Amino acid sequence: MWAEIVKKAATFESGVLSGIDAEGYPCSVRCAPVPDDGAQILRCEVSVGIELRPGPASLLCHSHNEQLWDLRSLNVRGTLERDAQGWFLRPTAIIPEMAATNPIGMIRAVVQLRRTAANYLKKRNLPAPAIPWKELVAAKEEAIARGRAAASSSRSGNRSIGGLR
Amino acid sequence: MLEALERSSAGVATAVRQLTFPVEIEQVFREFRCAEMATLAKDGTPLAWPVVGFYRPERGCFVTTTSIALPQKAYNIRRDGKVSLLYSDPTASGLVQAPIVLVQGDATVSRDVLTWNDDLRDLVATLAVRQPSSNDNSKGRFMQWLMDWYYMRLVISVVPRRVRYWADGDFTRPAREIEVFHVG
Repeated sequence: MWAEIVKKAATFESGVLSGIDAEGYPCSVRCAPVPDDGAQILRCEVSVGIELRPGPASLLCHSHNEQLWDLRSLNVRGTLERDAQGWFLRPTAIIPEMAATNPIGMIRAVVQLRRTAANYLKKRNLPAPAIPWKELVAAKEEAIARGRAAASSSRSGNRSIGGLR
Repeated sequence: MLEALERSSAGVATAVRQLTFPVEIEQVFREFRCAEMATLAKDGTPLAWPVVGFYRPERGCFVTTTSIALPQKAYNIRRDGKVSLLYSDPTASGLVQAPIVLVQGDATVSRDVLTWNDDLRDLVATLAVRQPSSNDNSKGRFMQWLMDWYYMRLVISVVPRRVRYWADGDFTRPAREIEVFHVG
């Protein structure tokens, strides 16, 4: 498990460390985890002013491209601890990810997702709800057309506030 | 000083607490493609997943959704509604040196499985533009049969109670708190 965590974590620039704060709420911070191979822990620098409690925690590394695709992730459960050098996560498990990297994996993932959805409905004795495909496709087409018009408008010099979009 | 106001609608018996945040914070909520949402698992472990969230200031909350094929975060919230949303990945947002924002709050999940309402229409429309590959999910009868689970969703609402941010996305500096007033 440790070797897999180190190998995968190295492919991300940073991750999101989630712990619990003094009031019992989840509290997440972005950090660049540094593996300590000897102790098999991930050292994480936590920003000043964030009050985490030692205890159950997790690290999520994920990324997407400009088109919100090429989704990749690594999710590690563990315990958050602290020593003289600062905070660290002691991993206890890798949470399996649903992302598939090949067509076979994709089919398996979809079959599993369909099964989970069917079980959700079955447990509650609910019929499969109808999907309003017509409205759904129309909403997509309208949004795409709007997006094209906005892009065209932007190219012709009409920028949105601050020119940030 | 940055400040957020939670306002009640004047003259309305059941006041809706509206949210207002500084422009640069609201831009993050609107333009970041996803947020990392942490919920509490059965054993108390905070587990985060990337989610597409919507800022709903007029309703005083943030909204996200999840398919019933990926219900774990909904189960967690039904057990314990404490959650956090971290807006920390500006990829594709178009924002430069954007702040990173941490929202902590209390979440609720719809009981009904929904396939269409204003929130789901916004999700579909937003992803149609921001995630073009997702448009294949609804093309043709076979894909509609194969991917119907994706559109069977639970709606999650998060009412913020504490908001902090890191200016310029710089985690080496201390987080600053944005006060959320509870009025009415």
